[in-house]
Amino acid sequence: MRSVAKTLSSSDRLASSSARLILMLLRARAILVLLLLLVLFSVLAPNFLTANNLSILAKHVAISAILAIGMTFVILTGGIDLSVGSVAGLGGMIAGYLLTQGLSLGGAVHFPPLVIVVFLTLAVCLSVGALNGWLVARAGVAPFIATLGTLYIARGAALLISNGKTFPNLAGTAAHHNTGLTTIGQGFLLGLPAPVWIMLLLFGVAAFVAVKTPFGRHVYAVGGNERAARLAGIRIPRVKLATYLFSSLCAGIVGLIIASQLEAAHPATGETFELNAIAAVVLGGTSLMGGRGSVTGSLIGAFVIGVLADGLVMLGVSEFWQIVIKGVVIVLAVAIDQLQTRLQARFLPLILRSSQEAGA
Amino acid sequence: MSQSPILLEARAISKRYGGAIALDSVDFNLHRNAINVLIGENGAGKSTLMRVLAGVEEPDSGSIFLDGVPIQLRSPRDASTHGIAIVHQELAIMPNLDLSENIFAGRELTRSAMLDRSAEDDRSRAVLTRLHHLLAVNTSASMLSLGSRQIVEVARSLAHGARILILDEPTSALSVAETQVLFEILLELKSAGVSIVYISHRLHELLHLGDFFTVLRSGKVVGQAPRAEVTRQWIVECMSGRAATSDIAQRPPHTGKRALHALNLSLSASSNNDSAQVALHDVSFDLHEGEILGIYGLLGAGRTELLEVLAGNRTASGGTLQAGRLSRLPRDVSEAMAGGIVLVPEDRQRDGLIPELSIRENIALASPAGFVLSRKMELARIRALVNDLNIAVHDVELPVTVLSGGNQQKVLLARCLMLSPTILLLDEPTRGVDVGAKSEIYGILRTLSTKGLSILFTSSEIEETLALADRVLVMCQGQIVAEFDHSELSDEALFSAASPAALKTSLYAS
Repeated sequence: MRSVAKTLSSSDRLASSSARLILMLLRARAILVLLLLLVLFSVLAPNFLTANNLSILAKHVAISAILAIGMTFVILTGGIDLSVGSVAGLGGMIAGYLLTQGLSLGGAVHFPPLVIVVFLTLAVCLSVGALNGWLVARAGVAPFIATLGTLYIARGAALLISNGKTFPNLAGTAAHHNTGLTTIGQGFLLGLPAPVWIMLLLFGVAAFVAVKTPFGRHVYAVGGNERAARLAGIRIPRVKLATYLFSSLCAGIVGLIIASQLEAAHPATGETFELNAIAAVVLGGTSLMGGRGSVTGSLIGAFVIGVLADGLVMLGVSEFWQIVIKGVVIVLAVAIDQLQTRLQARFLPLILRSSQEAGA
Repeated sequence: MSQSPILLEARAISKRYGGAIALDSVDFNLHRNAINVLIGENGAGKSTLMRVLAGVEEPDSGSIFLDGVPIQLRSPRDASTHGIAIVHQELAIMPNLDLSENIFAGRELTRSAMLDRSAEDDRSRAVLTRLHHLLAVNTSASMLSLGSRQIVEVARSLAHGARILILDEPTSALSVAETQVLFEILLELKSAGVSIVYISHRLHELLHLGDFFTVLRSGKVVGQAPRAEVTRQWIVECMSGRAATSDIAQRPPHTGKRALHALNLSLSASSNNDSAQVALHDVSFDLHEGEILGIYGLLGAGRTELLEVLAGNRTASGGTLQAGRLSRLPRDVSEAMAGGIVLVPEDRQRDGLIPELSIRENIALASPAGFVLSRKMELARIRALVNDLNIAVHDVELPVTVLSGGNQQKVLLARCLMLSPTILLLDEPTRGVDVGAKSEIYGILRTLSTKGLSILFTSSEIEETLALADRVLVMCQGQIVAEFDHSELSDEALFSAASPAALKTSLYAS
């Protein structure tokens, strides 16, 4: 038996529809901000909307976007991965080592072909992800601490590989049959840079998994109510492990892209990348508490940060101001997110009643 | 071959947690197509037994037979395969998913490795229709009331073909209307071939619904009987292990000085917290010095809201108050405390105790302190209180979590008494406390009242109200609808007054 609710007054109804509109706008804030920025910069900077500039922009964005895509799943389960920057650096160093020093097996030095180099690099990065997953899911270490630890471990490992030095000349030599790295970061296909293609591919896979597969739903369930998810028979440790594995995989791919673009591997590569990734994810509407958000949002968030950075450079704004602005944007994004949650809670009874009345 | 009336038999189930024995060689018979009621005080082992049956926990020893065939239940999935489903007391709903997704969480329907949303939606719709709950399956679960969430959990069990449905305290958070819907559903399920296990404290519900009764005490089965042989007295005696005494002594009405005078208190229904609040309409009453005034009402009557207004935790939208040293409604809790009004909250886990702190620290928490904490003075008073309240512990430095529910409630009480209130407010004073500790707490409160403390408590338990109150006000939907002197009190009178008019055609005919 429904409770006796008086029919909505017209002022209530007005409040309800404006609440709905506001909530809809808030939900779409990431893309609205992106469009706003694009318009703004194309007005202020003459060369902004050229195909060339946008292509370069996308290439820059691809780095944070790929990390953000990987980070999204982790954050959706209520975790976080601070190690992605270090893992990217580590990935680059592994590739650098294999391409310039080769592997010494059984007394002789072998130079693995590029495919094997990529495979081994990603395998090492995945093992960091496995460590993260084990620490968080089995050992019960808080994700912040676990991945902070692996941040340092991976960074240390990267430095140890070369004793702090850079591996140059990663283009490879024909004699060693290990050329081809440059295509990953510098190649072009149908006019788009290779990193952009990689980003789009990863985005496609991630978005599909998130929305269309049981695993994706499990990720959201774990983030929404872990206890309920466990009682529903979802294997929490496996889900969490998978998210950290994917995050590290993305980090490894980014490491390869950067090494390819620079044709060198620096052990310091990737420092502070994790913060950019997290910023992009949060900007895109994913809640740090888990259970709410989307891969699409993270992609848009990465573009917002990228467009903002590039636009400010084109306008000649000081690099240091850019850092301040980025911080302001992130804080605003989270504050607006809170506002959205609160507004939603406040107007929920009203919206519910009006939709009941409308028979929706 | 005729079917045995017993669908599931649990034999010699034992389980211990560390040093505590939760289940001691328990035999439990689940009758087919019936509502099997499981009763017991807190800590008696009911939830543990059900968790074992639902595969959430594994027993240390014992065996389970389904239709005479031994089965192993090592995980909720195992239980689900055998058709056993449980709806826990704290609902296991994911608020960020919609109804259909919640129903199929963990057991999604797929088509070539992809989620088959249309199949899931169809099945969910079918199940919800069967349960007379016509909500759009794409509604987000966060928008549902507690009653609806519970129905969704029942739907989840049915969608996966449950033959045995276990419900753990299903009505403790439901409104009267939602409870009635649930009962209708359970009766329908029963006739449709689902066997039900129903765990509850609410004796009148059990007597209304139950076909077979099992009583647990301290991890052992102490009574089993079909409905025809069960009376309220039998249940209470089994649960507490002693004959029920009617200790409703005569209590003369209080005509002494007025300790509290509330006039036309009102509260608007808008939500300024996470949850909507029940509105209060022109609540007026007096409390006399040394009197124990009980406010009885069902969930949603506005009792908690009233107490929180008096204690300064909520802002009223109208009305006046003269109480203790206060001449107006307190604006916040410290003002109320300074005025002599202290509230013992209902949910001690969430609103009362700090689990990381020790017993001493919890008791001392609210006390006015100098600039520096003075352990010596605190300790003396705390030890005295622990003694007076008979808190069963030798070392007050132990974390408060080692105590039983009853003792934890006493710790909360001790904290409030440290503030030397003149008016003590208690919201559900013995929620989650076993029968023995309950009478102890009643005794303590009565002693305090003879020493001059004025007490106002709310309760949704008739037994408690009868046992404790000198005078009773009944609230319903935000208003005071009846007042009873001690001599006028009776089960029916109270319950009748508390039910909203439309539902008065009694659920509780027995």
